[in-house]
Amino acid sequence: MGWIERILRLLLSPQVFAPLIYPGIVTILAVIIFMLWLERKIAAKVQLRYGPLYVLKRLGGIIQLIADLLRFLFAHPIIPEAVDKLAFVMGPILLFALVYLPAVALPVSSGFVAISSDLNLLLALALIVIGPIFVLILGWASNNKFSLIGGLREGYLMMAYEMPLFITVLSMAVVYNSFDLVEIVERQAGGHWGVLLNPLAAVLFLLIAFMSTSRYPFEIAEAESELVMGPYTEYSGILYGLTMGASYVKLYVLSLLFTEVFLGGWYPTIWPLNTHPILPGLVVLGKALVVMSIGVFLRAVYPRYRIDQGLKIGWHVFFSLSIASLLISLGVVGIRVLG
Amino acid sequence: MSAMGRKRSVVGRIRDHLEAMATGAKYLLFRPRMTLMYPDEVQELPPGYRGMIRFIREECISCGMCARICPADAIKMYEGDEKKYPGINYMRCVFCGFCVDICPSAALEFAPVHDVACYGLQEHIYRPDDFSRGPPSVRFKKKPEKVRAEIDERRGIVYEPT
Repeated sequence: MGWIERILRLLLSPQVFAPLIYPGIVTILAVIIFMLWLERKIAAKVQLRYGPLYVLKRLGGIIQLIADLLRFLFAHPIIPEAVDKLAFVMGPILLFALVYLPAVALPVSSGFVAISSDLNLLLALALIVIGPIFVLILGWASNNKFSLIGGLREGYLMMAYEMPLFITVLSMAVVYNSFDLVEIVERQAGGHWGVLLNPLAAVLFLLIAFMSTSRYPFEIAEAESELVMGPYTEYSGILYGLTMGASYVKLYVLSLLFTEVFLGGWYPTIWPLNTHPILPGLVVLGKALVVMSIGVFLRAVYPRYRIDQGLKIGWHVFFSLSIASLLISLGVVGIRVLG
Repeated sequence: MSAMGRKRSVVGRIRDHLEAMATGAKYLLFRPRMTLMYPDEVQELPPGYRGMIRFIREECISCGMCARICPADAIKMYEGDEKKYPGINYMRCVFCGFCVDICPSAALEFAPVHDVACYGLQEHIYRPDDFSRGPPSVRFKKKPEKVRAEIDERRGIVYEPT
């Protein structure tokens, strides 16, 4: 066995491929670059403008974000005197790492799973909800009023959306009678998508995903017109790039999760895709990109809710609706058992 | 009553959200853009456009009306050979055109030029000699397409090639 073959084998093993290539770092970078461009392009088109255009004009300025990323990379990251230096520097790095980790817990296809466990879904959820703690930490570490208020807002919102998020996803676990994402997707093979079994849970999950990734109208923690940049006010250079990228990575991870729980995952797997266990992942990625583009489209439509309105929506609307979606799931299970 | 002062039923509120998204989608998919692609397209200016000002020295009777009417104090009379002549400071000029309107001998007129870039602030001050030479001509790297702005009731502003 030649060494090229050995490296390829290693690279294509799930435990290396998933964190590094798909759904890991490489795909995440490509998706961030594409989604930020798409977001600016969509907002511009709705407002009858062009958006980024002149960097590679022939393709509509699609590599604008690579230019921005390079600028972030080479800009001098300023660390103010009065900050808690360790927390200030480590905050964005750990935030980015923790919003990226749950992607590894998601299966690429039924034969290609990095972390093979019957509690995949719970693992992904548990990793997703650790991230906001670091937003709180870096809001506090910045020693700045805007950062502190922004961080606290993120904390309040986290309390408001986490419980409905868990109840909504667990209501789907009730329908499928499983916490294993591979089994959940296999159950949807014949076109019995989760969105048809429990539409309320699907809509709710989507809204909570937008709320937890500060999409409009829930962009309450950053609130540019009130709080400069919320918890990220003091950041610059690549550290700011990481904090900004984190919410897009989280949106990407939640979209993948939404696709696998509600949109049938890697089904339908048509001919050229069923030749290798990695290829069905492209179906998941495609569906997730559609979900994400809905999220970034909302920026062009909505203003921002006040923090009290956001909390009211979280506790009153989302929480009661998530209980209702749990009841719907129980009804679906009841019909299945009786019928 | 809600904070917005208008209480809607739940169905009505959901319909409002859907309507907002439908409007956004309509703009995203069907509405044409209104951007004038400036260095590639240049708007043809209408007659009487209040651009930079051209000074015709031979017509000037040195009455100083332009300097006196100027609301921004941009025009100043400079000592000439025998007579005084006006000069202009474009750092102050608000392009109101009062000087052109009040000039009794039509020695000042509008030029259809407004897009001039400078290296230093001193270049904004035109003494009578520079002023009588008129505004500098604008040079483009590539010859721009001339367009005319039309108001379309359905589409908004439309730029049509002339």
